[in-house]
Amino acid sequence: MSLQRLLLGIALGCAPATWAGQGDLLTPQQAFRLSAQLVSRNEIVVRYDIAPGYYLYRDKLKFATEPAAVALGVPRTPKAAVHEDEFFGRVEIYRGPVVIRVPVKLPAGTERFTLTARSQGCADAGVCYTPQQQQLVLGPGIGAAEPAGSGSLIDSLGGVRPEKTP
Amino acid sequence: MKRGTKIFLFIAVALAALAAGLALHPLNRGPVVVTPAGLLETPLESIDGGKQPLGTWKGKVLVVNFWATWCAPCRKEIPEFIRMQERLKDQGLQFVGIAIDEKDKVVPYIREVGINYPVLVGELDAVEMSRSLGNELGALPFTVVVDRSGKVVHTILGATSEASLEPILKALF
Repeated sequence: MSLQRLLLGIALGCAPATWAGQGDLLTPQQAFRLSAQLVSRNEIVVRYDIAPGYYLYRDKLKFATEPAAVALGVPRTPKAAVHEDEFFGRVEIYRGPVVIRVPVKLPAGTERFTLTARSQGCADAGVCYTPQQQQLVLGPGIGAAEPAGSGSLIDSLGGVRPEKTP
Repeated sequence: MKRGTKIFLFIAVALAALAAGLALHPLNRGPVVVTPAGLLETPLESIDGGKQPLGTWKGKVLVVNFWATWCAPCRKEIPEFIRMQERLKDQGLQFVGIAIDEKDKVVPYIREVGINYPVLVGELDAVEMSRSLGNELGALPFTVVVDRSGKVVHTILGATSEASLEPILKALF
């Protein structure tokens, strides 16, 4: 290999890092893709597609509705992996896709309501995201929903644009 | 251009790219280093009650650490910050923690690990300050080095260490 090729190789190999910065990290909306659907009048299915290298804390998943007359039961979260954390001990985390079934009681005549999903997760690269709060509009006859415009703590400040969930 | 000059230029550019690549290792530094207007004037809640701006410590070499009790990588670096604060305080070093967290969780943690520098707490206001400093993802920990004149000179996303921080600080003492 000539010296020029060697140097070019070094330059190209390192160059991405010069503009990578935070670009190497996904936005929380990309890392933890949320979708949900009201599958019957008494059950919501919430799904997080978690990108490789990222995880969500099981005990930080919280759901709420607006109007509050749409009553939620206790979410049925699947079994989680146990993560041995240096500081928190054994914590339960999710990786990959996770499906949560949330019992719901719809008052008669409810056409739509807002589900607020709160989550918190980290990247294996060594950062944690501030708690995310995303909102979805659900209702009978509405298909799988994706987060509405300004859900998360950061979004509401106009920082990171929400990622559309397919 | 002479062949020798071309080779020289090529080597210079390649070495500059290499140096920049190493210096800006991903997660080791935010993409931009900016000094947002009003950085030193924006008041945040102090754990003793009342509000304090970062300008309280202007004139010191300031290391501002955004953290939270729920953030494991943050907990990892804090004991190193405590040691550095003790060791380098006479040279003008001042750490300030900004916890994006609930005060009820922050106060017991400060006592538990013996944080020996001021801690402010915030939610949206602190997230906004961190974002204005280049932390677009709102990820933690995020650490910012401010020189004695109040100018931001370095930002670090992800956990840092005594060994990484000290050379940056020494140039500012």
